[in-house]
Amino acid sequence: MIEVEGLHKRFGSQVALEEVDFVVPAGEIFGFIGPNGAGKTTTIRILATLAMPDAGTATIGGIPVAEDPHAVRELIGYMPDFFGVYDRLTSIEYLEFYAACHGVPHRRRRAVGYELLELVDLSGRAEDQVDTLSRGMKQRLCLARALVHDPQVLLLDEPASGLDPRARIEMRELIRELRRMGKTILVSSHILPELEELCTWVGFIDAGRMVAAGPMSDVRNQVLTGRRLRVEVVDPDEVKLLAARDQIEGRPGVITVELVEDGLEVAVEEAFQDQDLLMELVRAGVAVRSFAPVTGDLSEAFMRLTSQAPHPPASRERVETLP
Amino acid sequence: MTVIERLLRLFDNPLIVKDGVSRMRSWRAPLVLTLYLSVLGLFGYSVFVALIVLSPSDRSGSAQIGGQVFESMAFMQLSLVALFAPALAAGAISSERERQTFDVLLVSRLSAVSIVWGKLVASVAFMLLLILAALPLFAAVFLFGGIDFEQFAITQLLTVTTAVSIAAVSLFLSAAFGRTLSSTVAAYGAAFAGMVGTLIAGGLMSVGLLGRAAGQGAAATTDVHPLEFANPFYALWIVLNSPNGAPMHLGRLVQMMAFLPGSPSSLGPLIEPWVTAILVEALLVAVSVVAAVQLVQHRRAYVPARPVEPIPYVEPAEAGSQS
Repeated sequence: MIEVEGLHKRFGSQVALEEVDFVVPAGEIFGFIGPNGAGKTTTIRILATLAMPDAGTATIGGIPVAEDPHAVRELIGYMPDFFGVYDRLTSIEYLEFYAACHGVPHRRRRAVGYELLELVDLSGRAEDQVDTLSRGMKQRLCLARALVHDPQVLLLDEPASGLDPRARIEMRELIRELRRMGKTILVSSHILPELEELCTWVGFIDAGRMVAAGPMSDVRNQVLTGRRLRVEVVDPDEVKLLAARDQIEGRPGVITVELVEDGLEVAVEEAFQDQDLLMELVRAGVAVRSFAPVTGDLSEAFMRLTSQAPHPPASRERVETLP
Repeated sequence: MTVIERLLRLFDNPLIVKDGVSRMRSWRAPLVLTLYLSVLGLFGYSVFVALIVLSPSDRSGSAQIGGQVFESMAFMQLSLVALFAPALAAGAISSERERQTFDVLLVSRLSAVSIVWGKLVASVAFMLLLILAALPLFAAVFLFGGIDFEQFAITQLLTVTTAVSIAAVSLFLSAAFGRTLSSTVAAYGAAFAGMVGTLIAGGLMSVGLLGRAAGQGAAATTDVHPLEFANPFYALWIVLNSPNGAPMHLGRLVQMMAFLPGSPSSLGPLIEPWVTAILVEALLVAVSVVAAVQLVQHRRAYVPARPVEPIPYVEPAEAGSQS
């Protein structure tokens, strides 16, 4: 649904994007990950027809963004990284205004507005003025705004930035719901744990260059060689830990076993049955306190990838494209 | 489609509705209206009282008093319009940028022309409301006599065109400057240059022309320099004080504007100052709107290679598919 190939963008002498390539298949949630100033917003603005690349192509739904921006605008819903409000408009008026801007017929605007308010769980705030809503509510309303013309693709630039934990969870659930509705979603963030639970595809960008992109499991395996499980044992000492390691090392599906402070960290293949390992340890008399997949895989993958990535030449300064 | 339907479609612009609703809900709207009418009414009343008190013996008739009060109020109204118009229009586009809502507008189906047109109409609409609200005050003075209907109509027309032209220039500056403060300062500068600067500069040049004619032994000329001739204040003064007008040949105006030597040209039609003022203002509006459209289009990054054709709205396959 989204294809980006060899995208270059400079701002004066500063290189913002260099050979950016990635693909987002229809119906997937693509996590676009990178530190501030890496080029996420610049890429999204190019896809949103708000900036012109210096070289390379970007297509959405098979339509080149640079050649037919009008058609592309029909396909996309864009949510910038900052939510701007209009004073003295109610939530429903706000959505009706944007529905009108997107050419929704007059007779449908109010109905579309109420449907979207229901979707984002703001039906009860339809008549409240936008500037009286909480930040989380504003973000949800902003997402509803991006949906007024029922676009196939959503470009969400840091949708959860500045939200409290509850609002983040609500936003995440909302994005999942949109995927169930068949939308293709590109969501950028520099907060990795939140994307790890949400995305099916992922792309890492650093200093304007893509360092990895693809299905989440492929990228993770490519960098981390398998999933990891953490086993904590009761009263760990070296003898116990070595015994436990010997018990499981060499088992089919187990890639590596590392001793850590209070237990073991086991790298396993994707298809490995975790419960078999737990049973094996218990049968061997290892007092297991906890047994769980390691979270933060994405963070580690990102750290490893960006530390391996070549640094840009000194003359090319990274740029913060937008505040 | 009938002509009326076409005209009505011109005003079927979501920005006009949104800005209008937003403005009229603000506490500033009634305050500005009250202030405007109070200043105008009190000024007219003060002039009326002054004429009665200072010249008790000169009661040659209500017509003379009515004429003078009307003239004073017309000049005051023109000054107030020049004062309010920049404030109402100079933030139209820059405030969208400051709120970070501008990009979202650009990603919608609204064309650059629609955005500029909507913003201009929304800004001018409030000025027209002020001018309309003041009509009863002028009507009351009109009853005294001393002013015929043509003078009354031209006065109002000149006020409206001045308001529109200042709003259009302010809108262009709003598109050109990133910040509302800068665009407002520039808009006031432009309004002052147009309303007062041209009067002073034109007056000085007229005196200079008179001196040069005398120095060359030519017949004294009462011709007015085009800068002064096209000034709305001068045009208003001629409309209200010279029953026969003060027309000049178009050729003579061009001759003086270009400092061409020779005897006064009598080429071209005779033009009244108020007609010249309105034509110049219309030209300013056209240039400002085109320039503002170019700036907005530039901001959009892609200049469409073909005219923007309306894309038909496609009803969702199922009712309520948005939710």
